[in-house]
Amino acid sequence: MEIKDVVNSYGIIGVIGSYKSTLDMDKKISELGVNNLVNALKMVELSKIDINTKLTDLSTSELLKVDLATKLHEDIIIIGSIYNSLIFKEREVMKKLLLKLHNDYNKKIVVIDNHVEVFFNLAKKILVLDDKEVIYETSDFYDSNLYKWVNTPRIIEFINYINKDKKILNNNTDIYELIKDIYRGVS
Amino acid sequence: MKETDVTIISVNLNKKLTMAYKDYHVIEDDFDYEDLLKYKKVIFFNVLNNLKDEELDKLFNFIRENNILFINYTNNMELVLRTSYLMIYNGNDILAEGPTLEILKNDKLIKRLGFDEPFIVDLSLLLKGYGLISEIYLDKESLKRALWK
Repeated sequence: MEIKDVVNSYGIIGVIGSYKSTLDMDKKISELGVNNLVNALKMVELSKIDINTKLTDLSTSELLKVDLATKLHEDIIIIGSIYNSLIFKEREVMKKLLLKLHNDYNKKIVVIDNHVEVFFNLAKKILVLDDKEVIYETSDFYDSNLYKWVNTPRIIEFINYINKDKKILNNNTDIYELIKDIYRGVS
Repeated sequence: MKETDVTIISVNLNKKLTMAYKDYHVIEDDFDYEDLLKYKKVIFFNVLNNLKDEELDKLFNFIRENNILFINYTNNMELVLRTSYLMIYNGNDILAEGPTLEILKNDKLIKRLGFDEPFIVDLSLLLKGYGLISEIYLDKESLKRALWK
């Protein structure tokens, strides 16, 4: 199955890998036109930015948001480096925005990242590619095969570690659910 | 600033921040260990985030064995625990700096600025808040021992 087929089936998918966000961005911005750009920047919560600002003067988070803004009109949006470009609060805002784009506008979204945490509560399928070929796919964040390629999220690592001899914690990705399990497990 | 092993996190990670440390060589792409020996004082600008834990262990061992001074600019809060000193920037302003754990204990500041805590610190702080443990742990083994004595 090709990536296009997978994203059409699942809506939002995660792809393990690195992503460069600045490719052709200048060209995409000029193609968009000023009015469309202003509207798109509003949608990605960058309305305060001066549209004449040079890309080299933008922070990593602003660059990622501009990158997304130039792609909002595309049927399949490919976005990446959310973890490396954004701090925690911005990542959560970005995830909500991607969910909104999918739920309200039926956009299909491919999120490329090396940090599986980004896919929590966002992607329904995770793919591993080798030279554009899908070499592994899973829907389970607790699938240990996935972590041959990237680091295991710390919450999953912790739960697996405790469950090695206690088997009292559920396979959570939410720290507050984990706290509830620990509370039950120690009392 | 303590000049040995430092992490810098910033509300807006921008390469211009590195200009404050002119005697450091900035690494923002692929590098090899020879580069570290050559420059001796380096800034990793958002380049360590995607390394696997085993690669990070190897790199930090090499850095310490060879007395290389480094600053790690990152958004990855898990990497913060690998250095002893932490600085928080907003633009060009330093909002907080000090020994890593001391800064991380101020979770109100960390979260107000939009950062997350490293997972094990976050979990410790929450469990401490619920009265299940009495201190902050930096590794899962110690936390497990504290919970299930």
